[in-house]
Amino acid sequence: MSDDAEHPDLHSRKYPVREDMAYQLNVWRFERCGWYLLVLLVVLGLLGMFSRGLLSTRDIRSEDGRVRVQYEMFHRNGSTNSMKISVSGAPESTVELELAGEMMEGFSIETLQPEPARARSSAQGIRLWVQTDTQGQANLFITLRGDGLGLFHSRIVLPGSKDVKLTQFIFP
Amino acid sequence: MDSVLRAAAMYLALMVLFKIAGRRSLAELTTFDFVLLMMISEATQQALLGDDFSLTNSMLVIVTLIAIDVGLSLLKQRSGWISRLIDGEPTILVENGKLLHQRMRHARLVEADIMEAARSSQGIEKLEEIKFAIIERNGKISVIPREN
Repeated sequence: MSDDAEHPDLHSRKYPVREDMAYQLNVWRFERCGWYLLVLLVVLGLLGMFSRGLLSTRDIRSEDGRVRVQYEMFHRNGSTNSMKISVSGAPESTVELELAGEMMEGFSIETLQPEPARARSSAQGIRLWVQTDTQGQANLFITLRGDGLGLFHSRIVLPGSKDVKLTQFIFP
Repeated sequence: MDSVLRAAAMYLALMVLFKIAGRRSLAELTTFDFVLLMMISEATQQALLGDDFSLTNSMLVIVTLIAIDVGLSLLKQRSGWISRLIDGEPTILVENGKLLHQRMRHARLVEADIMEAARSSQGIEKLEEIKFAIIERNGKISVIPREN
């Protein structure tokens, strides 16, 4: 756009209105850059930069494979997203699981299914006991509503297994 | 507190977005522009009020929006620089019957837009009959005919 600034069409006129074409060219430049920015935001939105998409959906496992967490990395304040925690343990028994870290500060749990056999608060979050099936598998489906703003680090702790660390970001 | 911040952030965001969209975006409302405007207002309303539909919250949001608007108009009155930043400046598009093509290209306008404004405001039939066509700060095209 700067190469054609010398074009006679773009010289400032004084009549019937007083113009400042250097300024007007900057305004047009801003409009053009703004358009690129809007396209970039649309593409990022499609990719899931602002929740629900390729960039946002995470599927992580603990090192020993006993815990698997599927969740959204990016959330929006006030909206809900699901999280699935799968754990393995002894068949037909209860497995202890702790949701620790900043999760309870940034999110509120809207639903928790199936209902855990027992639940209580702990120093770092909440501790749940879930029932495993005949293969020793247990799934926990959680609906999280983002209440906070910013970055939240949390952990899913299974005694005797290494913590699964989650990082989630809540957009305004 | 969050209602005021919400309203202020939305005012600022919409202002920047409509600056990017340019002067013409909603100046001449076509049927589809009207639909677009309604969709934008619907999306905005949700973000402004959140899940709080109380009278206090809606009044707080409205008061904030009007306060910012009046505040900005006072600032514009005092400073020519701010006025120019927010409202922009008029730009000449046709000079003595000739289109200024470079300007038209940047302003994303075509000859048909000028002729439409010329017909509706001055009853002009040909480009040569236009002395000046100017895109005003509000996005409308004003036409000054040649005197013969």
